[in-house]
Amino acid sequence: MKQNKFDLKKVCTYMIALYVIAVLIFSFVAWDKISASRIANIYPILAIVGLAAVVGYCWRLQFCEKKGKESKGLYFINTIAKYWFLMEQLIQRDFKIKYKRSVLGVFWSFLNPLLMMLVQYVVFTNLFDLRGMGVIHYPIYLLAGIVTWNGFSDCTTQAMRAITGNASLITKVYVPKYIYPVTKVLSASINIILSMVPLLLVTFIYGLFNQLYFTPALLLLPIFLILLIMFIIGVSFLLSSLMVFFHDVEFLWGVILTMWMYATPIIYGIELLKQKQAWLATVMQFNPMYHYVEFIRSIIIYGTSPALMEYVICGAFSFGSLLIGIIVFKKTQDKFILYI
Amino acid sequence: MSNMEDNKIMLDIQDVSMRFMMTNDKVTSIKEMMTQMVKGKIHFKEFWALRNVSFQVKKGEVVGIIGRNGAGKSTILKIISGIMKPTGGNVVRNGNIVPMLELGSGFDMDLTGKENIFLNGAILGYSKSFLMEKYEEILAFSELGEFIHMPIRNYSSGMLMRLAFSIATVVNPEILIVDEILAVGDENFQRKSRARMMELMSGGTTVLFVSHDLGQIRQMCNRVVWLDNGTTRMVGDTKDVCDAYKL
Repeated sequence: MKQNKFDLKKVCTYMIALYVIAVLIFSFVAWDKISASRIANIYPILAIVGLAAVVGYCWRLQFCEKKGKESKGLYFINTIAKYWFLMEQLIQRDFKIKYKRSVLGVFWSFLNPLLMMLVQYVVFTNLFDLRGMGVIHYPIYLLAGIVTWNGFSDCTTQAMRAITGNASLITKVYVPKYIYPVTKVLSASINIILSMVPLLLVTFIYGLFNQLYFTPALLLLPIFLILLIMFIIGVSFLLSSLMVFFHDVEFLWGVILTMWMYATPIIYGIELLKQKQAWLATVMQFNPMYHYVEFIRSIIIYGTSPALMEYVICGAFSFGSLLIGIIVFKKTQDKFILYI
Repeated sequence: MSNMEDNKIMLDIQDVSMRFMMTNDKVTSIKEMMTQMVKGKIHFKEFWALRNVSFQVKKGEVVGIIGRNGAGKSTILKIISGIMKPTGGNVVRNGNIVPMLELGSGFDMDLTGKENIFLNGAILGYSKSFLMEKYEEILAFSELGEFIHMPIRNYSSGMLMRLAFSIATVVNPEILIVDEILAVGDENFQRKSRARMMELMSGGTTVLFVSHDLGQIRQMCNRVVWLDNGTTRMVGDTKDVCDAYKL
């Protein structure tokens, strides 16, 4: 049986291309922010140093492969290649069985967020009038928040059971265990990506009547999605490993999610907090979801790139959560089998 | 093949021990743990499922593992296939291991037979091209015909077993792990499946084989490991060990 392998040259080309595209989009969209900031002078140098680092790393990978030397990056790429087919199959399975027995099938991925948006729009614009809190284009403000939040809560709730739900496999065949939460998150995040379609559609139609137009800032959407999904994967690692030892987490997480939702400015605006309770607005800075929600609102509603600091904060939350999740998962994974 | 390669050690089980910590009643909620901790009531009872087990398996050998219930047979298989980490000792593997899954443990009832072939194959570590190539063979062996495109929740248990067996045995691994021989379905299919197993085991792959059926062990194995209470009681020629075990 031959092992699957990626062509390292191709992987390197993709990595470099991805970096160049990301930097180009970022420079293009956030140029006003960059030129006004203190790093304006050194920005070109930073971009080139980054490129050099990526190219250098690719070169090192190829060197390691040629010489047959061990390297973490190479090991990582090979593991992904080896289990690529399995991940593909698991993602397909999750996605297929979700809608298998429904008449409308995958169409629900569009319809569901659309209907949810409608309900919450009606409730929060007619019943509770929360407008006039320094929020412009309230319907879109609300919808962007809801879509982001629902993506987060759906993904984490599903991924939480990734280990316990696959117990029958984990106890019988060896597969790196992180595959299970990662594939669960990826299959669930297809829905986040799909729900961007109705969100943009609604924004477009709303915009026609209310002078809200798309700007090139929309190009930042993939960057937003990657950051958000990274954050979710980190949280899911944490939850799915805790879940093995304490099944209470399942119920606890439901409560935490509800609390967290109200603690995040989804239906209300941050201005409201600033007026009424300033300290809450300060605490809000530590809420990761607040930053993600504001990120997408900035792209869609304000039509500009978020402030540079926001990239740093969102990135820090994404990498931080991923790091913590991985550490906890790695420390506990050998004990899973004894508890499930 | 040179003599050197013939004697290549595929599996080296070095001094493997496995300890389980048993709590009197398993604590699976935070509240329970807290109250138990406050009361100082968490007692662990040690249980050694395996103690200092060592043996080697050479290329092409069929090694049987026998022993009474609870002797540690399944535990050693789990450690060898990497599902469990041993408390002490080490296992060196020189080749890819495919476990023969308990029939149907990777199935998803809502998917069709065909989709399940690919899902299950991926779990067992087969590549996509390998499965594409073997798809027809699996289908033919399972005798499912056009039912393959139906969700398997509609299958009868016999059909499920046939499908599971067909997927499990298309393997071409370097090391195959079999926990109890699989003979399923009606008489005709049973004969077929037994023949397939024999063919697999005599085909030059290294096989680790657990069974209670001494007849089968005598028939198939080159060597036998006898586990008793987590320790190796005897390792050696099939005939010697089987004769000693029977006494």
